[in-house]
Amino acid sequence: MENIQKRQPVNTEKSREKENNSSISKESNQSLSKKGNQSLSKERNQSILKEGDQSISTLDVFLEKTGFTPVGLLGVILLLIMPFIPPFNQEYLLRWLIYAAFIAAMSVGFDFTAGYINIVNFGYAAVMGYGGYTSSILAINLGLTPWIGILIGGLNSAILGLIIGMISLRLRGIFAACLSWFFGLALMGLATKLVWLTRGPLGLRVPRMFATESNIPFYYLVIILLVAMYILCKWVVKSKIGLAFQAIGQNMDAARTSGINPVFYRVFNFTLSCALAGILGGFYAHYYAILTPEVMHTSKTVEVLAVAYIGGRGSLWGGAVIAFPFIFIMEIIRSTLSNLPGLNLIIYAMLLILVMIYYPGGFSYFFDTHIRKPKNKALRYFLNGRETSAS
Amino acid sequence: MYINFKAIANWAKSAAGITITISIAVALYATINSGPYVLVNTIITGGMLALVATGLTLMLGVLNIAMFAHGEYFMIGSLTAFYVFTPISNYIMENPDSFLVIIGPVIAIVLSMVSGAIAGVISEKLVFGPLRRRSTDNWVMNSFLLTVGLSVLLINLHQLIFGADFKGIVRYWGGMPVSIAGAFISRDRIMAFLISGLIVFLFWFFMTYTRTGRAIRAVSQDATGAQIVGINIENIVLLTIALSCALAGVAGGSLLFMYPSYPTMGLEPLYMAWFVVILSGLGNILGAVAGAFMVALLKVVTVEYIGAGWDFVVPSALIMLILIFKPSGIFGSEVRGVLDK
Repeated sequence: MENIQKRQPVNTEKSREKENNSSISKESNQSLSKKGNQSLSKERNQSILKEGDQSISTLDVFLEKTGFTPVGLLGVILLLIMPFIPPFNQEYLLRWLIYAAFIAAMSVGFDFTAGYINIVNFGYAAVMGYGGYTSSILAINLGLTPWIGILIGGLNSAILGLIIGMISLRLRGIFAACLSWFFGLALMGLATKLVWLTRGPLGLRVPRMFATESNIPFYYLVIILLVAMYILCKWVVKSKIGLAFQAIGQNMDAARTSGINPVFYRVFNFTLSCALAGILGGFYAHYYAILTPEVMHTSKTVEVLAVAYIGGRGSLWGGAVIAFPFIFIMEIIRSTLSNLPGLNLIIYAMLLILVMIYYPGGFSYFFDTHIRKPKNKALRYFLNGRETSAS
Repeated sequence: MYINFKAIANWAKSAAGITITISIAVALYATINSGPYVLVNTIITGGMLALVATGLTLMLGVLNIAMFAHGEYFMIGSLTAFYVFTPISNYIMENPDSFLVIIGPVIAIVLSMVSGAIAGVISEKLVFGPLRRRSTDNWVMNSFLLTVGLSVLLINLHQLIFGADFKGIVRYWGGMPVSIAGAFISRDRIMAFLISGLIVFLFWFFMTYTRTGRAIRAVSQDATGAQIVGINIENIVLLTIALSCALAGVAGGSLLFMYPSYPTMGLEPLYMAWFVVILSGLGNILGAVAGAFMVALLKVVTVEYIGAGWDFVVPSALIMLILIFKPSGIFGSEVRGVLDK
């Protein structure tokens, strides 16, 4: 039964850290047990686990497969009906919603790198812009439909991520962050200077994805992208690869000694997260219909970073949840106090500083420690899903 | 006289030797090809960069803070210099024979240095101190993200309080430009270079020969060991932040005539200073000075031969290449050891 206990939901940040420290040894245990005679007891444990699982409902299976909790599923349903709830059915609020969902999806991809292998990809916005430029240039010059263009943009960004991952391999922590940052600066400089291709600071006029004036199809598209990206990242993180990511993020040398090859995992992580950024960049370009080098600026990365960190690093969902109230508050402050420019940015910088100093776990840590463990059993199921599933 | 040719040959084969030789060759070629102003621009930009980059490398070496907000102290310095020098220059307009003609700019520049130091101490007391007392796990990354927040905060405070327009002055010291080797150089540029040279020299002297400077270096090598031999870490930390922010502030103040003050002005010196720090490795003040001139040369040559606007692309590409082949920088040796605790 020891095995089952290990599969208990990793609820709090602290317990997760402990888990991470032990995960390295666990990894080595697993590799050892392949040869040793521990494997027998292990298989028995797994068979017990399977027998215990037979009474679960289809909803649970679905939740387990997608990595959602019931409350998360409810949140997605709420997002899906959001455009029909009165205050949000106005077009300008819908635009805010789309932007919030876009930032939420960005923060999922960003947290996939920053929260797990502990390298801040400081050129994330530039990678996003690169994907957007790829897609729009294809659409303008070759007349390619945006649907394929977005995918090609994602692929192109994935190649870029592969390159960044490869060349940052020898560097660690802050130096890898600097390298991706310089990469982003170089890309932004290129986008500004290659005027014959990108029209430089004037901006590229991009065909929109749907021919309508309405924002609703765009809204559903970005929600689908957000959910799909979350499921994909969660799926990777829940698998054995995610464990390796965490081991590398905690202590690379220890991870290497226990037989994890950091080359593959780090490059894979960069490639995937950059591919997601590229797809989102394509969406951004074909929604706003104009693309300037400004979108690749470091301040855009900082915005995503603030959302991801206030939401809670290493949780994936934290940033996605916090993006909606965050963007709304920022937009409300900006539109009501327009005579005080920059006040919203001051507030978000203060928030980032306060969170970093006094509450480094962010929103997801708060949720996990204070809200997630009520006494009531039904409520507990509602918040956590089935007990043994990793949330 | 015996010259050790072998040692020289070895040095020339090392990364530092190769880069320095190539940069000198490029500088000479560009000077002969396009005129001496290339060299002049390089030296002035390099002097400014040396100030900002030594502050940055000091922060990294002693406190392990990868400063993203260092450009904002540059901005604070230039803002102070603007608000101090504007009334002085109005006074000079009315009384052209006043002693302030010579002393006025010096007052502004010194005050910009002081304001940088004060801003550094305030940010240590309000931001870095609380984080250090709370937890030092994963310190490098956390403090880096903290400085990102600080940077956004300072930029937008500037915009909110002082507005987003350009706040610049025409000149510090008037008078005819000086002719050196056929190139006309304004007196302000010469003074800016002299100031930065003087301050870098004083700083190097302070770090090498005084007791406090040695204490700072001791803390940067081993904080626990320094504490054992009786160095007060808190004071050293405060002093280091004040010093490094003062360096950035004085750079901003003394270059006000070239770069007017506006909210996001700090970004460019920040990028360039990071290039320098990455290029030269950490904790090496003389290395940072040499690296500053190399990056300045790279920038000036790029603008000269490829065009304005490319000065982000080419230096970043080259520095990425350097990072790939020599991750610890061309002068440094233990970058990873310092940062990966």
